Amino acid sequence: MSDTTAPIGAATVVVVSGGSRGLGLAIVDDILATGASVAVFARTLTPELEALGSAHPDRVHAASVDATDRQAVGAFLKAAEARLGPIDALVNNAAIGQDSLHVHTSPDDIARIIETNLTAPLLLVRAVLRRILAKGNRGRIVMVTSVCAQRGYSGLVAYSATKGGLDSAMRTLARELHGRALVNSVAPGFFASEMSSVLGQTQLDTITRRTPSGRLVEPQNIVPVVHTLLFDDTNINGQVITVDGGGSI
Amino acid sequence: MSTLSRDQIRAMMAEVLAAQGKQMPGDDQANLEEIGFRSLDFSELALRVEDEIDEELNFDAPQLRQIATVSDVLDFLEQLQAA
Repeated sequence: MSDTTAPIGAATVVVVSGGSRGLGLAIVDDILATGASVAVFARTLTPELEALGSAHPDRVHAASVDATDRQAVGAFLKAAEARLGPIDALVNNAAIGQDSLHVHTSPDDIARIIETNLTAPLLLVRAVLRRILAKGNRGRIVMVTSVCAQRGYSGLVAYSATKGGLDSAMRTLARELHGRALVNSVAPGFFASEMSSVLGQTQLDTITRRTPSGRLVEPQNIVPVVHTLLFDDTNINGQVITVDGGGSI
Repeated sequence: MSTLSRDQIRAMMAEVLAAQGKQMPGDDQANLEEIGFRSLDFSELALRVEDEIDEELNFDAPQLRQIATVSDVLDFLEQLQAA
């Protein structure tokens, strides 16, 4: 292992969860354009992701894996390392949305949101860090959270709780892994992807009006920030970087 | 579950130190702070042991904080394997 006070190098093999469409797919595309390899999983593979795999057969390991299936995730990581080399970075992106007032959300649905958006990402980051540490390596972790962790939005109680939980875990990990990993969150505002499509048009219009930049966030706004956290020597660690057009200020 | 001997764990600890350009002391009473073996180095060693025995060795932080010498490291990993 190198000197832990030296800068942590740029990512070379990045795991991306939920990388088959939307923001996850855009992140995968950027990682490949940078020249790194990517191990990507999602519940369902899309033609777009399969096309990236065909275009970069030596640098993409893609599989259909449910993020809550611990054994399947473990097998995926092992296969990915055998094919691409040691994993040294993770973009914890997979999540499910919510659009229901808390009093009308079933206990089963609350448990499902927590399992997918909090427990599964915590277990994934644990699995990735165990692989990094066991080899004496260092790495970078990026949690994709949400502005919902910082401000209240009706209909997103459980979802917000999970994103806030991830931000809190991120800070503690950054402290706990001192010198071995850079750990940060990127918190997008609402963007017109499948995740924010659960909001009604009226709610989206209201959010847009209240956003100083006058526009909702697009995946291409988030990608450069994730890129920096994966590849650049910034010494950013333990931070939530909010990208929301200023909506939360 | 298979277990690693004290000598095998000592050799793995030496590998962890060597990877950082540090030397494994001859005296098991050597202080970990003085030889530069930190808590995350212990984690790395424990994960390497886990890999060999194909079993997770989970433990709480207070137990880790009591480890001060090379001998403590070896004792603790022996205890974890036996648990």
